[in-house]
Amino acid sequence: MKIAVLSGKGGTGKTTVATNMAFNFKGAVLVDADVEEPNSHIFIKPRVTGEKSVYKNFPLVDMDRCNLCGDCGRFCKYNAILPAKNKVLVFKEICHDCGGCEIVCKRNAISYEKREIGKIHSGKGLGDIEFIYGDLNVGEVSGVKIISELREMVSDNEVVIIDSPPGPSCATVEAVEGVDYAVVVSEPTPFGVSDMKMVVEMLENMKIPFGVVVNKAGLGNDEIYDYCSGKNIEILENIPFSEEIAKLYAVGEMMCLENSKYSHYFENIIGKISKTVK
Amino acid sequence: MIIGICAKETGLNSPVADRFGRAECYVLFDTETKEARTIENTAKNSASGAGGRAVRLLDENGVSVTLAPELGPKAMDAIKAFEISAYSYGESKTVKEALENYEAGKLEEFKTNSTESHHGLRRV
Repeated sequence: MKIAVLSGKGGTGKTTVATNMAFNFKGAVLVDADVEEPNSHIFIKPRVTGEKSVYKNFPLVDMDRCNLCGDCGRFCKYNAILPAKNKVLVFKEICHDCGGCEIVCKRNAISYEKREIGKIHSGKGLGDIEFIYGDLNVGEVSGVKIISELREMVSDNEVVIIDSPPGPSCATVEAVEGVDYAVVVSEPTPFGVSDMKMVVEMLENMKIPFGVVVNKAGLGNDEIYDYCSGKNIEILENIPFSEEIAKLYAVGEMMCLENSKYSHYFENIIGKISKTVK
Repeated sequence: MIIGICAKETGLNSPVADRFGRAECYVLFDTETKEARTIENTAKNSASGAGGRAVRLLDENGVSVTLAPELGPKAMDAIKAFEISAYSYGESKTVKEALENYEAGKLEEFKTNSTESHHGLRRV
């Protein structure tokens, strides 16, 4: 079973929910797929035993074959390859590694070279949690390739909890693709609800079953409850806005590890998901 | 010779644009016939790399000199590769003023990019 934890707005509590869910779910593997700014490791504190680089290809043009016809430049939506007067410019950092320029080149002038865009770290963390996370190099445009490699590292037989990137971006679509269930974490503020609606629409389009966790409950207003009941969306849990929880977060501690009185929130979430996903 | 000026609107009286690759349009001025025509910047809504694509558009329209507000690193690479000269229009407010300043030799040529990479591309 694969469960994605995502949000519309950033800072609503994805990592809080994902790490504490993993802590309360025996045998679960936690994947931090928010590769632009991974932070689950701060709470999980893994002993990193594995590390590998993630590479992305960019085109190399053989000028002995190229006749500067311009097909590759016209094809590339991202303008990563640009045929000029006597040479072809390649802007490798904006190349999406789609392979299209090689296909449209009639002269077979294009080959590819790889470059590192980030790393994947793995190891066991607190509570014996099996943990992997990706880390995109500073200056890189897209972490989609890292997320896709993270997904390949877990098997279908495991319980996998994926801490996803925020918002309905390409990276989020990659992280939630193929999951059995999604947990949308939102705060009950106007911003929280507005941004949540975008990921709700995304999940509906992707036909992924989901429920909502209201974090920092007690803040804001009732719009989130009206919206969810209007759309028949299940509220999995309300986690209250609490100074103690905020303090634990600020020092990088999982609330359930520090105080077992918080475990029932996550056991409840897991219980409800287990009933929905067979 | 055709001079391409980054513009917000059509014609010589248009205000100059604030950006190069994502300028609204380009006014093309032919120094021999003294005629000007305006082309839409088809590169302006590119997902990325608008600067390079815009240089290609200018080249396709026979431009050999361009007057621009700023040039990023990719646009600069393309300017060199297409063998186009680029000048900063500095304080010029309109296309006409930029052209007059160019013809009076008052504009400075871009020898290197004037702005850095934007978004996450900036290395720290």
